[in-house]
Amino acid sequence: MLTIKNLCKKYGRNLAVNNLSLEVRPGEIYGFVGPNGAGKTTTMKIICGLLSATSGDITLDGVDVIRDYKKIKEKLGYMPDFFGVYDDLKVHEYLEFYASIYHIKGSRRSKLIDDLLELVDLTGKKEAYVDSLSRGMKQRLCLARSLVHNPGLLVLDEPASGMDPRARVEMKEILRNLKSMGKTIIISSHILPELAELCTSIGIIDKGRMVVSGSVSDILQQVYSKQVIRVKVLDKLEEAALIMREFPFVDKLNVGENTLQAGFEGGEAEMSRVLAALVNRQIPVASFSQLEGNLEDIFMKVTKGEEE
Amino acid sequence: MNINPVLLKELKVRMRGWRAAAMIALYLLILAAVAVFIIYTTYMNPYSSTVDPQASVGSYTVLAIFQFILILFIVPALTAGAISGEREKQTLDLVLCTRLRPISIILGKLFASLSQIILLIAASLPVFSTVFLFGGISMMEILQLFGFYAVTALTIGTIGIYFSVSLKRTTAATVLTYGVVAFMTLGSIFITVLYLGMVYNMSYDKFFPLLYINPIAGFSSLLSGQFGSSANFLPGFGSANAAAKGLLEPWQVNILFDIGLSVLLAALSAYKINPVRKGIAVLWKRKK
Repeated sequence: MLTIKNLCKKYGRNLAVNNLSLEVRPGEIYGFVGPNGAGKTTTMKIICGLLSATSGDITLDGVDVIRDYKKIKEKLGYMPDFFGVYDDLKVHEYLEFYASIYHIKGSRRSKLIDDLLELVDLTGKKEAYVDSLSRGMKQRLCLARSLVHNPGLLVLDEPASGMDPRARVEMKEILRNLKSMGKTIIISSHILPELAELCTSIGIIDKGRMVVSGSVSDILQQVYSKQVIRVKVLDKLEEAALIMREFPFVDKLNVGENTLQAGFEGGEAEMSRVLAALVNRQIPVASFSQLEGNLEDIFMKVTKGEEE
Repeated sequence: MNINPVLLKELKVRMRGWRAAAMIALYLLILAAVAVFIIYTTYMNPYSSTVDPQASVGSYTVLAIFQFILILFIVPALTAGAISGEREKQTLDLVLCTRLRPISIILGKLFASLSQIILLIAASLPVFSTVFLFGGISMMEILQLFGFYAVTALTIGTIGIYFSVSLKRTTAATVLTYGVVAFMTLGSIFITVLYLGMVYNMSYDKFFPLLYINPIAGFSSLLSGQFGSSANFLPGFGSANAAAKGLLEPWQVNILFDIGLSVLLAALSAYKINPVRKGIAVLWKRKK
């Protein structure tokens, strides 16, 4: 669907985007993660034809974005991180304006606006003035605006920024609906756990460079060479520690109050062997789990690594 | 028929509420008061017992000047914030990422901004038509005048839009637009006086071509053409107009200049508002 190869953007001597490459497949939700000033918004604006690239290639459904930026505007919808709305327009008039740009008229336009308002849960606000809406509602209206021409790709720059927790949950739900409708979504956010839940793939960008890109599980493997297992026992903690040390693929065992945490090099088969050994020797195991590294950990690890 | 969506939206927003109606009412009230005052002073003249067509020319001239000054002062304020205002409100990117062509955005904003002044001018027609009561003015002359207004408003409007596109802040765009209008109106006269003073030893029977860009010179030439010396309300312009002998009258040349400048500035504005205009350089490098 979208392929970016060696994208560079210079502002004077500053390199805002440095040889960035990524690929987003149809139907994916691609999370774009990075600290402030990493180059996320710049990259998104280049994709949407709102900034020129210094060098590099971007293709969307085989169309060269840099060469044929007019064509791609039909194919994508953009929601910026900061945006304003026209104060003196009602909600339906706001959407009518953008629909008219795409020559959507008459009953088709009315139906489309009703559908979009239903999708973003603003049906009750159809006749309200845009400036009377809360921030969360304005964000949802802007999302509806980006959908008027039924684009295949949505580029959403921090769509949940400034929203309260409830509004965030609602936005997440809308994005899930869009995914089920077959939309491909590129989304940037600072709320990393939410991205991890929502995204099929992520790309971590820092200082204009793509540090890691791929599915969340792939990235976990790239970043963590070892898995971590955690065992909670009701009794016989020392005995359990001795049993675990017998296995060569277990190392760096930490003994807590009633838990054991260890590095683990192996697959599910090795894991079941450890559990079986503990149970066979009458250790009262309350829980046995693999600790999953979360997106926040990955983000901190890879961006820290870059600083070093 | 597809009406420019930007124009349609702007008209809806601008004409909504009481402000537009109040502005038209106030303007017409002032204009009508001026017209009534002129008629009243003419007919209260105890030494005149007949209808003097010259009085209608005077009334027409005063109203024409009043409207002309209005255009020179209001159009920069209406247009200089058209694009920079969108940028400040962070609504510009949302329009730029749609399929709308840059020139459509520029023309939509330009004509939406000018719509208010066009509305004021059109609404003033009934007040202007009071001069028909006394004769001396033809409909064609009024249409000529209104056409000149429209072209002048268009030119100043495109200057405002150009600076609005080029500068980030509305204040800076407004100041520069007023600056350029001041140069075209007063600056060009000042340079002309200096030039004629130095080259022709203060002889003002020559027409310095710089005056062709001056809307006041064009306006003066138009009224002079309509009423002869009776409309030579600006000292020096009568002889200057007389000196500008050519195929076209100065106001006609002024209109041609204005149209040319408007087209150029609209095209430049459309080029500058396009965020990926530098793509041309990128494409050139790619081809190489």
